[in-house]
Amino acid sequence: MFRKLSLALLALSLFCAPAIAADKYTVASDCTWPPMEMLGDDKKPAGFAIDYIREVARAAGFEVENLNIAWDGIFGGVATGKYDIVASSTTITEERKKQFDFSDPYYEVVQAVVLPAGTNIKSLGELKGKKVGGQLGTTGIFVMRKANVGADIREYNDVGLAIQDMVSGRIDAVICDDPVAMYYVNKKADYAGKLNLSFKTGDTELYGFTVRKGRADLVAKLNKGIKKVKESGLHDKLIEKWMGKGN
Amino acid sequence: MPNTENSHSKGNIVMVTDGASIPDPRESRLINAWSIALVGAIASLLGLCLFWPDPYREILSYLLPDGVMITFKITILSICCAVPLGLITGLGRISRNRLINLIASTYVEVIRGIPLLVQIFYIYYALSRFFLVSGTTSAVIAISFCYGAYMGEVFRAGILAISKGQSEAARSLGFNRFQTMFYVVLPQAWRTILPPVGNECIAMLKDTSLVSIMAVPDLMHCARSYVGTTYLYFETYTVIALIYLIITLILSKGVSIMESRLNYYDGK
Repeated sequence: MFRKLSLALLALSLFCAPAIAADKYTVASDCTWPPMEMLGDDKKPAGFAIDYIREVARAAGFEVENLNIAWDGIFGGVATGKYDIVASSTTITEERKKQFDFSDPYYEVVQAVVLPAGTNIKSLGELKGKKVGGQLGTTGIFVMRKANVGADIREYNDVGLAIQDMVSGRIDAVICDDPVAMYYVNKKADYAGKLNLSFKTGDTELYGFTVRKGRADLVAKLNKGIKKVKESGLHDKLIEKWMGKGN
Repeated sequence: MPNTENSHSKGNIVMVTDGASIPDPRESRLINAWSIALVGAIASLLGLCLFWPDPYREILSYLLPDGVMITFKITILSICCAVPLGLITGLGRISRNRLINLIASTYVEVIRGIPLLVQIFYIYYALSRFFLVSGTTSAVIAISFCYGAYMGEVFRAGILAISKGQSEAARSLGFNRFQTMFYVVLPQAWRTILPPVGNECIAMLKDTSLVSIMAVPDLMHCARSYVGTTYLYFETYTVIALIYLIITLILSKGVSIMESRLNYYDGK
């Protein structure tokens, strides 16, 4: 009798638990893009986008679980439903919009070219014949390809390896989003005085949270949360926390 | 990795492969595992390009000339370095000189115990503190060192498989150690050594896909770069798998032909 009762209770608790808890979504970030997405001291995802999606979730009334997923394949995972949201400094582009749905923009960046200290350029055209590195499948690479200035474009697994290769002297320049460029130039102790953020493109890019095509429900929730975060002033606080003042 | 110590007898020579070779050199029927795989792979690739030209033909044209050439270049350069290195290591492993033996054995033990991916990273990033080598060069160095160790064991097993009577006879006829090895033992050992070395070379071609992490634009890197722009994961990796399969099938036929030539007299 007791066993039957406890089994029934167990079954009841198993079936009811998901119904009581708030909706929980898994969020993938490629933690090689500081300060937007990086690994904290506890080896867990941290950064602007991680904090931002948590605040968005709190404002819109759902829960998130953060995962660290390599950029190479991060879109494949969301397309097949391994996780629900990509919060990984994804620029909203026309090509990506064909395959995925995006939330409203939550941040704005430009592309920045980092050079070794002591060198300078005034336009992308000056990179003609130079070896330019970037992270595989990021908008920096797309911008370089589109500019078509005759540079030798090297695509790295992550931007940190590209910066390391530039410091070693294998490549001449690295192109990436400007917050990341500023982080490497100003905040990384290893590279202090070795890098120069030389040039920024004029075209702004907008970051959005990426979801699988057709997840209108999730997009609506994210947009609601983003709106609340922006209105409450948390948006500016998070920018100040991760990017410093004056940004 | 093939366990080279696990030899089994085949005819009157000892085989040091990790199983029966596919395709079997004596297999003369038209329909066998090898031909099914090759015809299937080529037909799938052509079929995809004919019936769905939209992504597939574009993927193929993005990958084909450049990516495959770099993959071949790295493979061929690595083979050219790894085979002599393997021979030297194999000779060192059976050397009676304690020091040489120790150096060769330590090299094999150390390299065999470190994954190739780690070695590639190590040579590329760690050694760049001292001297700068390009991505392709460091890939060739890493792959040659790794496969040199594997092949060293193949060479050692192949040499040891030659009956002791051969070298005793040569020594009694007045050959010195060097002459015995190079005129009597090695020419016979080649028959045993070549097929597994050929298999190692095929494995090497597949392992060159690891160098894509160092921004070397090989076949795999081209595919990842294409996926990074178009997000056609399934389609691109299908094409990549078929291209690698076709290349390795052709190479394995080459190894098999080589094997049958070497075993020509055994068949009689």
